Amino acid sequence: MALHWRTSPTRPGPLAMLASYAILTVWALVVLFPLYWLAITAFKLPIHVNEGPTYVPFLDFQPSLHAWRYILVDLGNDTLRPYLNTVIVGITSSVLTLLLGAAATYGLSRFTYRIRLASVLVFLAGAVLAAAGMEFGLPWQLAVAGGLGAFALAWATALRRVGGPRLGNADIAFWMISQRMLPPVAIVIPIYILFQRLTLLDTRTALVIAYVAANLPIAVWLLRDYFQTIPIELEESAAIDGANRYQILWRIVLPLALPGLVATFLFIFVLAWNEYLLALFLSSAKAQTMPLLVAAQNATRGPQWWYMSVLILLMIGPVIALAIVLERYIARGLLLGAVRG
Amino acid sequence: MRMLSRRRFLSVAALTGSALLAACRGGQQATPTPVTTGGTAGAGQRFDGVEVNVITFTGPQIAEPLQRRAPEFQQLTGAKINVITVPFADLYQKILTDITTGTNSYHVLVFSPQWMADFVEPGYLEDLTPRVEADPALQWDDIAPFFRNFSALYNGRIYTIPLDGDFQMVYYRTDLLEAEGLKPPETWEDYLAIAQHFHGKDLNGDGVPDFGSGIAKRRGAQSYWMFWSIAASFLQSQGTQQGAFFDVDTMEPLTNNEAFARALEIYKETGQYGPPDELNWDVGDSRSAFVTGRCALTIDWGDIGTLAIDPEQSKVKDKVGAIILPGTKEVLDRSAGKLVACDANTCPHAINGVNHAPYAAYGGWSGAINKNAPAKVKDAGYAFLSYMSQPAQANVDVTIGKTGFNPYRISQFENIDLWVKAGMSEQAARNYLGAIKDSLNSPNMVLDLRIPGTQRYQGVVLDTVLSRYLAGELTTKQAMEELTKGWNEITDELGREKQKQAYRASLSIR
Amino acid sequence: MRETRPVETTPARGDAVAPSAHRIPLTCDRLVTWADRQAGTVLVLPAVLVILALSIFPLLFSLYLSLARFQPVAGGFRFQFVGLLNYRKLFVGSEQEHFLGRLGSLGLFGWVVLVALAALFAVLLWRSLRAEPVTPLRLLGHGIVAVAGLAALWLAVGTIASGGRPGTLVVTWVYVFGGVALQFLIGLLLAVLCAQQLPGRRFFRVVFLLPMMITPVGVAYTFRMLTDTGKGPFAPVANWLGYANVSWVNDPWGARIAVMIGDLWQWTPFMFIVLLAALESQSPEPVEAAIVDGASRWQIFWHITLPQIAPVASTVVLIRLIEAFKIFDMPNVLTGGGPGTATESLTLHAYVLWRSLDYGTSAAVAYSLLFVVTFVGIAYVRLLHRRVTTLG
Repeated sequence: MALHWRTSPTRPGPLAMLASYAILTVWALVVLFPLYWLAITAFKLPIHVNEGPTYVPFLDFQPSLHAWRYILVDLGNDTLRPYLNTVIVGITSSVLTLLLGAAATYGLSRFTYRIRLASVLVFLAGAVLAAAGMEFGLPWQLAVAGGLGAFALAWATALRRVGGPRLGNADIAFWMISQRMLPPVAIVIPIYILFQRLTLLDTRTALVIAYVAANLPIAVWLLRDYFQTIPIELEESAAIDGANRYQILWRIVLPLALPGLVATFLFIFVLAWNEYLLALFLSSAKAQTMPLLVAAQNATRGPQWWYMSVLILLMIGPVIALAIVLERYIARGLLLGAVRG
Repeated sequence: MRMLSRRRFLSVAALTGSALLAACRGGQQATPTPVTTGGTAGAGQRFDGVEVNVITFTGPQIAEPLQRRAPEFQQLTGAKINVITVPFADLYQKILTDITTGTNSYHVLVFSPQWMADFVEPGYLEDLTPRVEADPALQWDDIAPFFRNFSALYNGRIYTIPLDGDFQMVYYRTDLLEAEGLKPPETWEDYLAIAQHFHGKDLNGDGVPDFGSGIAKRRGAQSYWMFWSIAASFLQSQGTQQGAFFDVDTMEPLTNNEAFARALEIYKETGQYGPPDELNWDVGDSRSAFVTGRCALTIDWGDIGTLAIDPEQSKVKDKVGAIILPGTKEVLDRSAGKLVACDANTCPHAINGVNHAPYAAYGGWSGAINKNAPAKVKDAGYAFLSYMSQPAQANVDVTIGKTGFNPYRISQFENIDLWVKAGMSEQAARNYLGAIKDSLNSPNMVLDLRIPGTQRYQGVVLDTVLSRYLAGELTTKQAMEELTKGWNEITDELGREKQKQAYRASLSIR
Repeated sequence: MRETRPVETTPARGDAVAPSAHRIPLTCDRLVTWADRQAGTVLVLPAVLVILALSIFPLLFSLYLSLARFQPVAGGFRFQFVGLLNYRKLFVGSEQEHFLGRLGSLGLFGWVVLVALAALFAVLLWRSLRAEPVTPLRLLGHGIVAVAGLAALWLAVGTIASGGRPGTLVVTWVYVFGGVALQFLIGLLLAVLCAQQLPGRRFFRVVFLLPMMITPVGVAYTFRMLTDTGKGPFAPVANWLGYANVSWVNDPWGARIAVMIGDLWQWTPFMFIVLLAALESQSPEPVEAAIVDGASRWQIFWHITLPQIAPVASTVVLIRLIEAFKIFDMPNVLTGGGPGTATESLTLHAYVLWRSLDYGTSAAVAYSLLFVVTFVGIAYVRLLHRRVTTLG
């Protein structure tokens, strides 16, 4: 990095540097060894895996391409299709999540929201009624109508200024993150029914929608703190120059929050890229993603380590590339200081 | 080759015709076609434009033969077969969710008949009896009696077409036993003695001590089937219809008595001659250990027979013997809850005074048809299942290790050539098929549990109790009490009378 | 949906941005002006709607499920309402030992640990209470936290004590609190080291991110390979040390630690990347000023760096806490929950029941988990998070 002015304050002394390298190297080994093991397992014949550990190709065992051949040639399209799905769903859902999440976070960190508890309760009651209506065999259109009615009622309650405690920004944020508290097994059947009613099963759209909803809370929470650190003076001077909210967000806030955005993007992309249970239920043939293929390698004959290793290596490749590219942008966070200075 | 495919073709034509006829009786078929269509074109058109979604788990096992034969079948009949695969562990959930929510995107289900009750009771599966009766090409009588009379049936009606034969056997190393002048185990006491004899010795010449026995005992995997293979011969001696899980009159579990205690103790003792981390072994581990020569004995399905001849996996080619599951000379007296010695009354099916009860664990992959599929699709789906099960196809597929199909037809034992061609020595083939034949011919074969809630009885309660027992959290007595309590709780929750009827239906007791 | 309506759009925290003053009579511009006025709603509403659409139905559905029994019937399924029966099974019935565990005898040591932890908890609570003016509502809130916290402590210490057996609830706590604490400490250490001007740090940064990028099922299987005492790479080491006939598999704590190591390996990178980004965005002036004043490295870290990254650190811990409560793949693949039920987490518990069609009890476990996480989450936010951040 060309930011020489910053090097002097944090450059460690020789002893500290040695200690730092020692710790970093140890952890790098801890991280890399399992990956090395995956990499060599991908080239082993089953017998070489099962006989006992072997460590170095050519010395310990004769590497074989049998697993690669099976995954890339024998399976062919059955590997390619899930792979493309994973790429498309991963990128689309992460970009959408980041856009929606950044907007929402900006709103939450610059505006004050006050919601009446009463209207939330009315809304919840309406939703319960709608769900109960479905349970007792009402057509789902009617239930949806009931739900919309509940929304309207909630809105009316809010308007009529009924008293009672109000919820603020912090409560909205907590409500968002609380959506990740229920374990996936509890939500997967209702989500399945939801998408079945929308006739979106086995489409990439369903996965994108599900992942955006699932990952938005995390995006909002991670971004809040970065947005918080952005000095308000810059926004003020922009506003005086005649920029509107959206321009301020797009031209000033987002560039300044870049390290946070990149870290967040990387994280939600990885979550979408690797998600299993929702993918399992929302897809059956056309929209299957790679994690299903990995999990499927444990079948009636026990885990097929060699195939599994190949698939994991195939999956991790693009993400590493992404990490290498984006790592530069995290480092560019240093510029923030320059702007401030 | 030309001849063969023509013969196949004719048989398919005939069977699809008869299937249609069966459907016509229901009055659903708009344009009935005569059964006697002989011409190539006529039958080839029959399912043109029909797409059948077949679901099974992501192979290569089971899915591979279906995928391989789908184009063949399309050429013959015009029906397009889409094989949809999902991870094995989630297959049951996936199918059930699809059907219960009315999605019905799967038309043919290739699954374990053990799940049958959960699907038949609410009426999700098509009754295949009329189709099978009108389908000579299927050669139903060639299917081994157990699969024909019990496995494919529920309440006396046929719901599944067997594609695979699943039951457990004991495998041993012929070279080791011969060298020591030992006989293969006949009883579980023999099994323990042999395991003890070889435990701690180097069995594959790599200088590392190996194990007398290696059994999959991992929680959340296959351990409860392995255990029931041991328990079965103590619990059932009067033939398949006696049942090995519950009393057929009271629905009281057979899990709190001397016989069950003995089985638990044997099960635990096998661990003394097993690897240190046996509690975490699933069949993948026990199979790979056995075929790399690390164990002298193991309990498994038919898969080891074909794995042992695969040069990519095996170091014990032609050193593997298989034998019917060992038995016992003492069996359960159900009224007293005690063990009694075998005699002509207590063990009518005993061989040399030993009661064997080969356990059809899991039941073998079978095909069933979703009742809610369109009529034409059901016909095409049935034709495909029949095609897969017909000897011309099945007898080849069972000899290929990759298919995961194990023998289930009588004609599959008779043709040794097929197995020799697949890589077995003639002696090994005779030994392997002999063990299979002994098991399948046994009138005392044990039908796996298949009543509503099977997964809860076995996969949750039994599995957890066994794991806790092996981990030393429970004594034998506590384990039996816990298991009995747990099973009774499920039975009462689902309705004792209803469960009893289902249990009797699964055993085809009228 | 309208509950997100900003009642006042007065900007928070002294934000003085006024709506654009331009009043050019062009429709497009008017639209822009209107949109600008509504910015508060426009920005937040899409996110709220998306989350709401996919969360409210599942939430209510599984709540109802936890009070019912699932039955497949012709043409679909049916729920039979059973009231609190599923919960009763978990808390006092046949699943009690599985879910809550069995209390052992505490012994002297156990009591000492319990009292020490309780005292620590009480002090923290007291300090939090005193931080702001005491109102009846706050008193009530702290009272609930105190009672629930002490009950949880008693359950945890009591079941872990000799003769006891921790149920899936306590095992999950062990994974969550032990795991997240370790992940945070290691992640922070690595982030601090990597934020230095070291040649080659980019290499370390990328390498440290790798574990997070593997699909969790894949990581779990990788660790199953690595920890295998027969075929794994460490088997010869164990043999050489004379542990050929011992396996971590048979020891409850050995197995739990194996699960935690896998989880640690996978999720430390998350802590690392977020904390690193936080360290890199901190403003350099205070550090420079402190150096001029002759502060030591440790002083700078403790008094300047740490407070600066505290908001991010606290958030990342909260997110990991919530995610860690759902730990599933690692115990499921590594041990299947064994030996016995020693490594079974709540999610795995729910999953095993779910897989066997016992949807009702499964949902009851899931909802119990939801209660615990919500409670921990709220307590965390109120007691800690709000104090290190100005956000809620």
